[in-house]
Amino acid sequence: MIKSIGMKLYVLLTILFLYTPIVVLMVMGFNESRYNSLPFRFSTRWYEELSQNATLLSAAENSFYLAIVTGIICVILATLFTLGAESLSKRAEGLCRSVMMMPMSIPWLIMGLSMLLMIRFIDMDKNLFFVAAGHVVISLPYAMLVLQARIHSIDPALEEMSLSLGADAWTTFRKITLPAIAPAMVAGGFLSFMISFDNFPISYFLMPSGISTLPIEIQSSIKFGFTPEINAISTIIIGISLACLAIVGLIMGRSFKSVLGGGK
Amino acid sequence: MKNNKKVMTLPGMAVLFLFAILPLFIMLAYSFQSDNGTGLTLENYSRFFTKTFYLTLTFRTIVNSFLVTVISLVIAYPLAYIMAKHLKGLKNIVMVLLIIPFFTNQLVRVYSWLIFLQDGGVFDRMMNALGLIDGTMGLLYTRTAVIIGLIHAFFPYMVITIYMALERLDNTLLEASSCLGASKLTTFTRVVLPMSMPGVVTGIMIVFVPCLGTFVEPRILGGVNGTVIGTVIEDQFFEIYGWNFGAAIAFLLLAMVLISMAVINRLGRRYDS
Repeated sequence: MIKSIGMKLYVLLTILFLYTPIVVLMVMGFNESRYNSLPFRFSTRWYEELSQNATLLSAAENSFYLAIVTGIICVILATLFTLGAESLSKRAEGLCRSVMMMPMSIPWLIMGLSMLLMIRFIDMDKNLFFVAAGHVVISLPYAMLVLQARIHSIDPALEEMSLSLGADAWTTFRKITLPAIAPAMVAGGFLSFMISFDNFPISYFLMPSGISTLPIEIQSSIKFGFTPEINAISTIIIGISLACLAIVGLIMGRSFKSVLGGGK
Repeated sequence: MKNNKKVMTLPGMAVLFLFAILPLFIMLAYSFQSDNGTGLTLENYSRFFTKTFYLTLTFRTIVNSFLVTVISLVIAYPLAYIMAKHLKGLKNIVMVLLIIPFFTNQLVRVYSWLIFLQDGGVFDRMMNALGLIDGTMGLLYTRTAVIIGLIHAFFPYMVITIYMALERLDNTLLEASSCLGASKLTTFTRVVLPMSMPGVVTGIMIVFVPCLGTFVEPRILGGVNGTVIGTVIEDQFFEIYGWNFGAAIAFLLLAMVLISMAVINRLGRRYDS
């Protein structure tokens, strides 16, 4: 009995460690003080000021569009790759897969600045194309993990059956393969959307001046004196992320679980 | 038909080649150039290896990663064990609670620690209320703050990998062990621990390796006391404009990453089968 209470207490403590700072951040968004100082006095002032803050809002908008583009490109590339990789020889498949997964093990700092050096090497200015390319490269492995897990679980006999019953390759893809992998495509797209939306290092190195994303704005306001507007927008983002997570979780059910269990 | 399908891997491979592999080679080329642009040189690397500042920094980066990994392991192992073997319906809820913070922005999490730890902030108030200290702990802008922030970011990964290994562990094995007269401790050290080692090794891999390349947490939570290799590279590119030297340090960091991956992999192979 005591042992069981002790264990639950331990679980509770670790969860507290995980959430306390985040909760403090959210609560301080409703605090009157500019410097997040105590005692706490309730106010919605920072939410009002946020609604007037064009820089922060347009940065959030940029992050959103960038993440949408990244998510879509990642799903397309990952789906094509995983479907195609099956017909490669075992050896080539393993090699190609490890190349595709490589950005997962290289620090984003290095990915970002090596691309920056490449842009300088070919004597071009920083532009949004390279930002998107950078985001795609680092988000792709996550989309791949999800799709791979799903495609491996499809029974190949189904496709063979469809082909032998006279359906052409395209019909087979449309009627058998696509419906089977669609949930994984949504989950993979969502995951790469989130990676891109939250990414700071790549954008930091590659964003042309004058345009910014939300993480960049948060970083610069931490550097140059923050205001609780950051708390307000962080709270909103956390809320939206959780809502998306819940919706995708509900729609995807099992295949989403395989993402969370199978990813690194 | 088969050849058709192979072509489908090309777009992905092309993107990876153009925007990941090629840039790394260009970075390598930059690291062998001197700032005044005359031919190949090793001066960037010799500068790194002859100044004690950079060597101390490398050492400090590795120690930081090591501490984060060890403390994460100490926190995560009991949690994963309790989840796998003692929590029944609750374990899925705990799992979801562990995963949710992955979907919050990295900078938001760091910023939340900044607010939590600042002088006269919530943490100081809590400690005062408990009567543990008087005044401020002065934790913000110390190495301790950096390590706390990194543990917060990484320990859930460790819990998940260890949990997955323990979950696969068959309960009948534990029963068999105790039936045959093994004490609880023996069962743990001879059965549970060895069987969970693959999860532990994967956990070490995905905590230690990314920690080496962090620069956001050290910068924001550590201030001047947080300097690590990552922040020095950042400075070379954004403050000092020593791009060639920056490229060389980045390459050395990449080498550290690859070497530690190889070492941890080797460690893991012992527990395969």
